This record gives sequence, C-alpha cells and structure tokens, in this order.
Amino acid sequence: MDAAEALAAALWPARFGKAIPYLLIAPAVLVVGLLVLGLVEITDASLRTLDTSTFLPSDYYTLANFERAFTESLFRTVATRSLLGAVIVTAITLVLAFPYAYVMVRTRSPWLRKILLIALFLPFFIGQVVRAYGWLIVLGNQGMVNEALGLIGVAPLRLLYNYPAVLFGLVQYMLPFAVLMLAPAMTAIPEELEAAAQSLGANWVRAMVHVVLPLVRPGLVGAGLVVLTLSLTDFAMPAILGGGSQDFIANAIYDQFFRTSDQGLGATLTLLLVAVGSLLVGLVFTVFGAGTLAKEARR
Amino acid sequence: MKGTKFLTDTISRRSFMQGAAAAGGVAGISALGLRPAMAQEPDKPAELIIRAWGGSWVDSLKAGVSDSFTAKTGIAIRHDLTEDNEIQPKVWAAVAQGRVPPIHINWDTTTNATKSALRGVTEDLSDLPNLKNTTDLAKPVGLDGYPIVNTYGYVYVLAYRPEAFPDGAPKSWKDLLDPKFKGRLAFYNDGIGFHFPAQVAGGGKLEDIPGNMQPAWDFITKMKEQQPLLGEDPDFTTWFQRGEIDAACTISTNAREAKKNGIDIKWVVPEEGCKFDTDGLWIPKGLPANELYWAKEYINHALTVEAQQVWLDGLGLPGVVPGVNPPADLVGDPSYPTKPEDFENLIRISSKIQVENESEWFAKFKSIMQG
Repeated sequence: MDAAEALAAALWPARFGKAIPYLLIAPAVLVVGLLVLGLVEITDASLRTLDTSTFLPSDYYTLANFERAFTESLFRTVATRSLLGAVIVTAITLVLAFPYAYVMVRTRSPWLRKILLIALFLPFFIGQVVRAYGWLIVLGNQGMVNEALGLIGVAPLRLLYNYPAVLFGLVQYMLPFAVLMLAPAMTAIPEELEAAAQSLGANWVRAMVHVVLPLVRPGLVGAGLVVLTLSLTDFAMPAILGGGSQDFIANAIYDQFFRTSDQGLGATLTLLLVAVGSLLVGLVFTVFGAGTLAKEARR
Repeated sequence: MKGTKFLTDTISRRSFMQGAAAAGGVAGISALGLRPAMAQEPDKPAELIIRAWGGSWVDSLKAGVSDSFTAKTGIAIRHDLTEDNEIQPKVWAAVAQGRVPPIHINWDTTTNATKSALRGVTEDLSDLPNLKNTTDLAKPVGLDGYPIVNTYGYVYVLAYRPEAFPDGAPKSWKDLLDPKFKGRLAFYNDGIGFHFPAQVAGGGKLEDIPGNMQPAWDFITKMKEQQPLLGEDPDFTTWFQRGEIDAACTISTNAREAKKNGIDIKWVVPEEGCKFDTDGLWIPKGLPANELYWAKEYINHALTVEAQQVWLDGLGLPGVVPGVNPPADLVGDPSYPTKPEDFENLIRISSKIQVENESEWFAKFKSIMQG
C-alpha cells in the first residue's frame, strides 16, 4: 500500500492538485475549441462568394452573402417559419410534458410508473427519421387515420405535408426530452409541500399553481431551452412531413451546401442560425435564469 | 532541380532504354487498335466504389454494368448510395486536400458533373476506346474533351393516374391548374425539370432562357396555388403508390417503376414540351494510377452495347451507343426518343447555361413555393 502511495505521489505530486479543476474541464475546452475552429472556418467561407465559372469560392472577402441572406424573401420566410415553429413547439411540448412528468413522479402505482417510463424511453430507440416515416403511414391519404375516417363516411383529409404536420411531428419528437428534463426537477419538490398547501386550504389547482409550478420553474426553463434549440435547428421533420414546402433554416442550409454548391451562402445561413439560437438562449437566461442547466437555479 | 538530380542518380541509361522500348511497344499496340491493357495491366484493386442512386437505378446498374465487369475482371464493385449532391462536396474537399477521393466513379447528372469539371476535379476520359462507338449524346456540351461521359438521356415527363383524367391524357401543363388537382400534384423540390416547360406554358420563349424567365416564374406562381408536393426521385414513386398524387413532373423511370409495382400510371410529353437531359459517369482526381486505370475500364465497359442494353432496359432510357434496343414496353414511347423527330418536342438547354444559372433558378423556385 505504501509502495502504491509512493508511486502515486511520484506520478502525481501533491503540488499538482491545483491543476485538477483545469484537467477536469480540459475535455470540454477541447470540444468547444474544435467547435470554435469550425466556426472560424465557416466564417471564412461565409465571406466568400461562389464563382459559377469555376465553382470555386472567391479569393477576396465580401459581405454579399449576408446581404442576400437579409434581403431575399426566401430566407426571411424560412427564418420566420423556423422561429415561430420553435416557439409553438416549445409551448405545446411543455404543456404536455408537465402533467406527464408529474404523474410519472407522483403516482403510487409502480405499474403506471413503469408504463410511463417505457412509453417515454421507447421513442429514443426509434430514430427521428423512422418516426417521421411512421407518421407518413399513419396520417397519409391511405393511412390508418383516413381509413378510420372513411368508415364513418368522411372523405380522405390531407393531414400531411403542411405546417401543422411539421409542428405535430416536432412535438411528438421533443416530448420525451422535455419530460426527461422536467422529471428530476419534479422529484426534487417534496410531496409534503403540496400536502401542507392543501392542509392550509388550497385546493389541488391552487397548490399546483402557487407551489409546484414556481418550484419546477428551473426544470421548465431547462426543458424549454432544449426543446427550443432542437426545434429551431431541426431538419428531418420539415423535410419529411413538410412535403418540400415547409422548410426550416436547416433545410435551407442543406440546399445551399448540397444542392446549389454555394458553400459561402450555406456558411452565412449557418452563422446566422448560430447567432439567432445563441441570442434566444441568452434572452431566456436573462429573463428566467439558466434553470436546471446551472447551479444557481437550485438555490 | 532536385528532382532532376534524383532521376539522374537512380535511372541508368540501360533502364531508361528499357522503359522507352516498353513505352514504344505499348504505343505500337495502341496504334494497332488493341488496348495497352492487353500488354500491361496495372494491379487490380480489390474493389471499385461507384456512387449510384438507389432503388431500381442501382439495381439496373448492377445488372447491366457492375456484375458483367466483375465477371470480366474479377474486381468487385461496391455501390455507394450517398446522394449525388452530398458526395460532391466530399469529393471536392478530398481533391482540394490532396486525399484519395471516397469513390472511384461518380454516376451523376451532367449538370452536377459539369460543376465538378469546371472546378477541375475530374479526370479526362478522352482516351476511352469505346467512345468512338458512341453518339453525340455522350459528349458533354461546352467542355473541352471528356471530363464526363454521358451515358444516357432522360425526359422529365408529365406522369399521371388515368383515373384522375377521365377525359383522356393531359395535353398541356396548363391542365394541371384545374382546381380538382389542388394538393394532388408533385414536382422536384428545386423545380428541376419544370423550369423550361413552365417558360413555354407561361407564354415565354426558350430562346429567352436565361435572360428573361419571368413567364416561367409567373406560371410556377400559378402552380403554387395548387399546393403541390415537392420531393426527390423516390418520393414520386411512393406518392403515386400511396394515392397521394394524381400527376407529377418526374423522370419517366420513376413513373415506370410505379407502373411495374402495379400502379395504374401513364405519362405524356405535353404540347409545351418536356425537359430532356443526360446523366454521366466521371472519375475524381487523386486516385492511385492502377485504380484510375480500372475505373476507366469500368466506364469503357459501360459504353458497350451489351452493358448498355441491360442497364438501360432496367431504367427505360435511351443510351449513347447505337444498337441498343428499347424495352418492349417503351417502343414508340415519347420518353424514349430514338429518332431526330422524337426530339422535336423535347427541350434541351446546354449544361453550361444550366450550371451558371441553376442556383438562381432553384432559389427562385424555392422562393415561390416556400412563400
């Protein structure tokens, strides 16, 4: 034992102790550093235009791509649709995730808890694309829903390839993330607090509004941030359930990189998406705090 | 200078004479019309990687070209189904960074391939012996030499479900503006294949492309009111099969595939015409010399009558080698032009114009459809 300690002391002298925190954050610094390097490359590309006679980027810097991004109606439409969609999806998802997480945490029935947990985790084993294709089968013109409607004499309805279909797919995709973020915050609220509120005359609804909701706010903020950013940057749901006419920003970026070979404009849209996403997150942090994503929220 | 010294140090007069004699021999064999390969075949790679489109497209390539090439040479063929648009930046990056590209051969649209040729990442294929047997369609327009070899042509037809057109086949693209087709039409999500017929249907002239395409945009704006679906090749087959659409502007191969799967579907070339275009094969720069040699052999093999017959029977498309017969179900079909008069109602715009303006057209189409 002494020999082992001596070896450890030789390999890692006590004076190195101060370095431990830095070593612990080193992987994160490395990952963030790589992202920053990528952003530097993307920034460089965003300042070059495509020469369609050689399909090479220009060898000079220009803001032409940014001018296009801000002035062309296509990008305004797509950006507005993405932002609005992300906000709507976040709101609906949180409304649905709250009761789900509450019941899952508070139920006395182990069976119900197991069923809710299985229903929560099952979608994680099925990728986003497969789930989206599942909705094509369920909601298509010859899908299960329209077949059921047909039984009561309703003509097939166009349930797919529109904005509501994209939002529906996103909510279904985001719900497990939100519940997973909310459940720990919900677990941290002692059940006795609700009992105390009710013993002082508050009904269940008042106890929920005045006790549970304020205490679970950090969880709601954390879940909201995750859902907001994932929805804002989603590619697959608009591509598959939107029928090609409900693109989000990520789809527009894909088009520039892979369809028109205009990597400069694609890089510009990427930078703007990162900027808008960061601004939104910063706004939420400023107004609501960082939620369960930071220590201060647990005070 | 350093290189010169290196050469003088390591190559003796005797070995130089031997090399020169060998080169002369190979040249002599070539002059006699025989492949140098017969005299001196480079090492065979274990496999060649060919980028291809999936579904019936890759099945046809495998049956017509890849399997027979493997049987002939013993070289296995791996088909990489990465989308053509997605492999392009990977190949460009590999060439720019001096890495070996991820594929040996790219099966590509001529327009896309032309972009790669303009960027200088394609090998020259002018020395393929079987090129002498091909029609003019094989030669890329507006480029020097053969950075791409076109291997067949195709038509973006108006495919339709006869059940939805009880009065007979649609005669004009304007027939699709009937309100009963609202939400029942489909186009490519970048509008490819539809820009040029829309120019005519909108009252414009093909000669005005690309200078004035306002008639096309006006007609596409009208079509937008029909809330069409927008997708890629596999989507059209799926949408027809699931009863989601009644008509589409799509490559005839996709419509034929749906028909093979039992869907009642037909196609026409309306009075305004249909876009005719080509696909081709090209080799990215940066391959080891022996792999480049065998990749060229693969493309050379794809230009034989035997390979084209099986490959293009599967695709239902006209090839670039005389002597290839149309499949029985496509004899006299407007999507399978074989004679000069068959091309009268087909619209062919040069790759150069398409390449230079494609980004703008795609953006305009998207802008209309996403609005």
